[in-house]
Amino acid sequence: MDPNTQDSSAPSAGTIDLLRKAEELAQEAAGLKTLAVAFERWHQDMIDTMAQNRDMSANGEDLISIAQQLIMVSLNAAIEAAHAGDSTRGFVVIAAEVKSLAKRAQALSRDISKNIDKGNLTSTATFQDIQAGGKMMMAAISTLEFKVKQLRQGIE
Amino acid sequence: MITDLSKRNLELAFHRAARGNLVRDPSDACNISPTQEGPHFGQMAGEVLLITISSFAFRLLTIFHVANTPAARAYYSEDAADRPVSEFFAEVANLCCGAFNRELAQSFSHLAMSIPYTLSSRCMAFLGELRPQFLSSYGITINDSVQMQATLCMHCSAPVEVMVSAARPDDNSGALELF
Repeated sequence: MDPNTQDSSAPSAGTIDLLRKAEELAQEAAGLKTLAVAFERWHQDMIDTMAQNRDMSANGEDLISIAQQLIMVSLNAAIEAAHAGDSTRGFVVIAAEVKSLAKRAQALSRDISKNIDKGNLTSTATFQDIQAGGKMMMAAISTLEFKVKQLRQGIE
Repeated sequence: MITDLSKRNLELAFHRAARGNLVRDPSDACNISPTQEGPHFGQMAGEVLLITISSFAFRLLTIFHVANTPAARAYYSEDAADRPVSEFFAEVANLCCGAFNRELAQSFSHLAMSIPYTLSSRCMAFLGELRPQFLSSYGITINDSVQMQATLCMHCSAPVEVMVSAARPDDNSGALELF
């Protein structure tokens, strides 16, 4: 063949350039798919966090229960001390102090419990948002891969 | 961030998804009415079930609370009516939100759904923490016996336009939403 004559079946320089760019796009899309590994890691971390939240909720409820029992115990102690007369005046003061502390503990554990409930809701919403967002991005990357494949087939 | 028309369309899409998927038989009656006083989960015992549908511009939580009554247990778990209804309802809610997701997919090309998760109903007192631009609750009654409450809680991070078609988009109603 005359070296000065172009082979009409050979791709043009423009087509080769387009194919190269399509190949680069395909590699980018394939690389983005490894995001799934990060999503899986976040997913696992969030599951662990949610399990911790559940434990904290249970602990908070135990605290409220203990504080309520303490109040009852201090009330009984105060009644018993009052029945016993002057000799247990000091004990009455201690019982009143225990009751006061128990009430403060009860109020505090209720606040903690509310904060745990608030945290559970916001962390669950975030967890679900990340989970759905991850699926959404993986679907978008798959669509991108499919379109790049179509583009390459069109060029070839 | 979200227009009144979009809010109405969101409700319409959810109501269609609920009517089509919360019932076990298409002939069962499903009545949905807005709860004027808003969500009142705090007064309810037990757990709520949450599913989130997310897009780049918004996060939409659908929250269900099914009263764990003998009627609800018999309806959703007829073979094991002694077990709590929540054990069986997650799959039903998943189907409902899958249909809701398909309705919304008419307006948003990128959309996905989380898996269901249960929380104490006490948590619902803090829905305001999610900065909702749309918050609406509905009382749902099936066959005049099974009662539940559903709440939509949407936070938008960009303007959102929800469009729905006059007809249901899902020919494959009842298909399992994979997660």
